[in-house]
Amino acid sequence: MAYDRKQGEHQVAQSSRPDYRLEVGRAEVPVGAPRGFVVLDPARAATLRAWTATLIPKYGRRPDAGSVGAAEYIDATVHLVPSIRPALIHAIDEVERLAHEAVGRAFVEADAEEREGLLRRLQALDGDAFSMVSDFTYEAYYGHPDVLTAIEAENGWRGNAPMTGSSMTAFDASRLERVRKLPPRYRAVESSREVKG
Amino acid sequence: MSRQPDADVLVIGSGAAGAAICSRLAGRGAKVVCLEQGQWVDRTRLPKSHLDWEVRGRRYWAANPNVRRWPADYPVSSEGRDPIDIYMYNAVGGSQIGFAGNYWRMAPSDFKVHSLDGVGADWPFDYEELAPYYAINEAEVGVAGLAGDPCGPPREDLPNPPAPIGRPGQLLVNAYEKLGWYWWPTEQAITTRAYRGRPACDNRGWCTFGCPQGSLSTADLTYWPGALENGVDLRTQARVREIVLGDDGRALGARYYDQDGVVREARAAVTVVACGGLGTPRLLLMSASPSHPEGLANSSGLVGKNLMVHVQSFATGLFEEPVDGWNGTWGGTVSTRQFYETDPARDYVRGFIMSGCRGWSPLNLALQIAPWGSGHHHAFDERINHEISLYLCGEDLPQESNRVELDWSHLDGFGMPGVVTHHELNDNSRRLGRDMIAHAHQVLEAAGAKSVRDFGLAPIWGWHLLGTAKMGEDPRTSVADRFNRAHDVPNLFIADGSSMPTSAGVNPSATIQALALRCADHIWESRRDYDSGRSSQIR
Repeated sequence: MAYDRKQGEHQVAQSSRPDYRLEVGRAEVPVGAPRGFVVLDPARAATLRAWTATLIPKYGRRPDAGSVGAAEYIDATVHLVPSIRPALIHAIDEVERLAHEAVGRAFVEADAEEREGLLRRLQALDGDAFSMVSDFTYEAYYGHPDVLTAIEAENGWRGNAPMTGSSMTAFDASRLERVRKLPPRYRAVESSREVKG
Repeated sequence: MSRQPDADVLVIGSGAAGAAICSRLAGRGAKVVCLEQGQWVDRTRLPKSHLDWEVRGRRYWAANPNVRRWPADYPVSSEGRDPIDIYMYNAVGGSQIGFAGNYWRMAPSDFKVHSLDGVGADWPFDYEELAPYYAINEAEVGVAGLAGDPCGPPREDLPNPPAPIGRPGQLLVNAYEKLGWYWWPTEQAITTRAYRGRPACDNRGWCTFGCPQGSLSTADLTYWPGALENGVDLRTQARVREIVLGDDGRALGARYYDQDGVVREARAAVTVVACGGLGTPRLLLMSASPSHPEGLANSSGLVGKNLMVHVQSFATGLFEEPVDGWNGTWGGTVSTRQFYETDPARDYVRGFIMSGCRGWSPLNLALQIAPWGSGHHHAFDERINHEISLYLCGEDLPQESNRVELDWSHLDGFGMPGVVTHHELNDNSRRLGRDMIAHAHQVLEAAGAKSVRDFGLAPIWGWHLLGTAKMGEDPRTSVADRFNRAHDVPNLFIADGSSMPTSAGVNPSATIQALALRCADHIWESRRDYDSGRSSQIR
């Protein structure tokens, strides 16, 4: 839904404007399904897993995004949508290039603070690819049963409510006592002419 | 033309309007064929049948056809100062398969906008003329709500009780009571108890992502089962290319590609176009011919013009205590029409509603407000289960420059054009929108919110696509007459949201379906007129 989009960054989806959000529309990748990597080699897979874990780190009972399969989810998505595959691979390679340039070692060997800094540099360099990985990571994270279970435990939000429902509580019509006594609040019209206010 | 018609009535489009027309006419004994470009929704694939429903809702269930790209979807581009993010579905049930269920009657003044306020247009009939059809439709779909709202005329009891309003609703009621405003439980097209073979809602929420329970009253569940029982010949994956005319200028039927890609014709005494606010003008414009060079039924030049989408926004309040924002139908709390009617003290005409919703779901919320990195969880935790949203909907006045046109630079799989919309909010809509958002802040603050954020007036949410083949008395200033019959083609009807002369300030599904039933009754009651047509078989 459009209100998913952050204010100020929203672009209306256009048939004429290349956009990863359009490309993935028909890529059905169930979240949390067991899967390995198909497109990415082990080194790039490790970089992407560390990238996703940096985007959404571990917190309380909530795992980091890398450990719930966000990187594998992204890999499966680009496997189904080859048109966005180059952007992903290029961005991963760019992260590694930045890591070696800035901290002198691989991204996976950088500490948490260094990783954040590197990703902020990448975000400035290649905003589209960064947003793509970020959006897909959020999807893989907030659709995952382990994450939803942890959110319920920590925040009371029942993520499985759409599966299970809940009891229906009757509306308390006594709350309408005041409103029922109010005068009509609509313009009654007759033959195209207003007859009362 | 010696070929016998396939049916008494050909209906193009199986959505909210088409379904109602098919059901009503078949129930009276008419032989009906319906052409639907989409397919039946596979209910096992409804997003909400799966725990990762939010993700599925962004991909194959995405409301924007440019994202979803189902086989029946055609390209839609959006232009103008305030481009529309188009939300529509091409499937049996039409865009209702992705609706939230908010189900409003228009007010009497909505039918007399020009007479009362000097803007827009009057409808060619009054509220009282549509009211019986509202009631019939509400019984058919099993609307939940309460009669007695002083913000509308007296009316029949509704068939089902209101949906549970939950903690968000209680907080909003407290606010309205504190402010001394009018409020009422929001009417919903949801069976809150078992009704006509459909199960009771059980509060799974997030209604726009499909209702596996079958309690959300989408047209595939309400009108279609009965229509099929009564013999309607529903042909899915039927991509209509054009309306076909006879030498006498009457509609013979439609030419379409069937599910195997084979070109065919369906003929009937009467043809009804019910393809929605974009699809209807698209088909009429695609049906241009030497006798109708600017498009069929377009002697007024208004086919595709006056596109209206409503002035819409959300405001979201942040509360100290948990609000159980996960629990209940998305739109089924309480609403206010305190500011619905024109008030001379304000700097705009017409008005708006505010409908209480629940909280934003986890993925949705995270994408909105939670930055990536070390601050992610803190931002998320502050708001998850602590927010309540108000849906804001105001009247968008018609203006000819807001329009839909054929887009020959983007074709569908059969070489038929896509469409391009052009839209700009007018000054009245901007003033109305600003006031609407300001009042939403007032409500949420009165409810106890410690802060309020809103979505402004952009993007323009294109859920409600209206007005592009308007009804009216004068053929020079309207496309269809008071019974939805095209002025230019005597046996062609245009019966969906495109026929609405003004948008009102409420969700339009109830009005679209009431209009469709009224149109169906007119076709039935005037069937002798069509008997005189050479191809008619209406009994």
